[in-house]
Amino acid sequence: MVVVAAIALALAQFGDDVSRATEVLLLVLPVATMAVLGRRWSAYVVAGAATIAFWLLIPPVGSAAVALFADVVGLIVFFIVAVTVTTLVANRIETLERVENDRRILMRSVSHDLRTPLTTIRAATSELLDGAEHDEATRRRLLEMVGDEADRLDRLVANLLNLSRIEAGALEPDRREVDLLELVEACLARLDRVLTDVEVVVEVAEDLPILRADVTLVDLALTNLLENAARHTPPGGRVTLAATSSGDTMTITVADTGPGLDAPMTEAIFEPFRTGAIAGASGIGLATCRAVVDAHGGTITAGESPGGGALFTIALPLR
Amino acid sequence: MKPRPADAMGARSDPASVLIVEDDRSVAEVVATALRARGHRVEVAVTGDDALATAAASEPDLVLLDLGLPDLDGVEVCVRLRRWFPNPIIVLSADGAEERKVRALDEGADDYVTKPFSMPELLARMRVALRHRELVAAAADPTRLALGDLVVDTGTRVATAAGEQLDLTRIEFDLLVLLGRHPGRVVTQSTILDRAWPEGTSGTTGALRVHVRNLRRKLGEGPDRPTLTTDPGVGYRLEVD
Repeated sequence: MVVVAAIALALAQFGDDVSRATEVLLLVLPVATMAVLGRRWSAYVVAGAATIAFWLLIPPVGSAAVALFADVVGLIVFFIVAVTVTTLVANRIETLERVENDRRILMRSVSHDLRTPLTTIRAATSELLDGAEHDEATRRRLLEMVGDEADRLDRLVANLLNLSRIEAGALEPDRREVDLLELVEACLARLDRVLTDVEVVVEVAEDLPILRADVTLVDLALTNLLENAARHTPPGGRVTLAATSSGDTMTITVADTGPGLDAPMTEAIFEPFRTGAIAGASGIGLATCRAVVDAHGGTITAGESPGGGALFTIALPLR
Repeated sequence: MKPRPADAMGARSDPASVLIVEDDRSVAEVVATALRARGHRVEVAVTGDDALATAAASEPDLVLLDLGLPDLDGVEVCVRLRRWFPNPIIVLSADGAEERKVRALDEGADDYVTKPFSMPELLARMRVALRHRELVAAAADPTRLALGDLVVDTGTRVATAAGEQLDLTRIEFDLLVLLGRHPGRVVTQSTILDRAWPEGTSGTTGALRVHVRNLRRKLGEGPDRPTLTTDPGVGYRLEVD
């Protein structure tokens, strides 16, 4: 405001030597500066003040009266330009700040998700190389864990790549005929070691219709849901995968007997890279599930399972 | 599964009981396997609430605390534990940001280990933390600190290294005492600025760096001399072999 007043006074002093265009440019300058600094509402106030200052500079100088109709039009155009500049710049700045914030959360989340399996690998290998003497069974168990965590890292990297491709619009589902039961069996076989401590129940009717979908992406989504369920279910608990169809929609549910989800988390867990508030790899995994399901024109929701625990429901169009 | 002599936890005659607070089962299992192989009694908690209940029930000698828990923030668990729990807490953090580590240390954690860590690294930190607890408990004369060939008398405010008196400023001496009372453990910058600066004055991290540099130079080097090391962005340690 002070800058606007100073510019107005200076222009009033040298009014005859300065063109109208120069006055406009000088008065828009503080408006744009406030908008660039990320102060949207302050910029609007300065835009109003600059308009009033411009008004007072229009002959007769210092008066609210405007002699020429062209100057009235100029005044209105000045106000519209000042407000538009503020809005556009402020929108851009806010978008950049949001992108920067998302990038920061992404880096933190990826770092967390990658370092956790790396911790097991590093701790286990250092223990095997330089640690205590272990019997053969323990040595084997530690080596198996190294292998399991390497697989987990591989899945994380696949999630990251696919998520970024889907979000960039670069990955179109390659729809082919998918037998869901076959796909589920393949997923379970691959996750055999992750699911070793829990009971897995599959309720998929053999006459379930064929789904037209991208088999790799649906495989990724199911793998993520099953791995997420396994990691949040205490040993001895149960993970249930069920699939039904109705009309032209197939519904796939994955329920666990873990601690479940608090109501505010049921939507937040699908937001990409919100792992900070959630344990394990759920941030990237569940965000990838949503991206995959969205790419197929379906929906995914999270809620409470009737028997306690979390329940994830995917609805996919059959074709 | 015989523990190797090098793995014994400091001067303890019996292996420590350890509570591992970690929501990732694989990490918890590897660490538990390695500690059990050294004779430690190990319990595992996967949530913050579980950790508080288990610690209250079994009063472990040491807690390994992951900061990313599903229900409570690890720093909050540290705060609640410290209301009554006197034994060492070592933070396990996958978080690259130094800010959370510093918060945990300021809230009473004894040390931190950044994921991914190796077992020797974790065991070394555990040894330091347990040894420190014993040193504090056994300190007969609280005015005299002996660290290698460095002797600090807080009564006469005289510090000697290999018998030679060190010419230290007031802040350097207080800094040495503060670090010397926690040998091997990181002391955060904010704790140093809070405790080692004269009352009524406020220090800056820039000024602290200068004092640390000067103290490090005056301490010199030697086989029995403690070394003043920096944990970038976190704080400083006086490492004693």
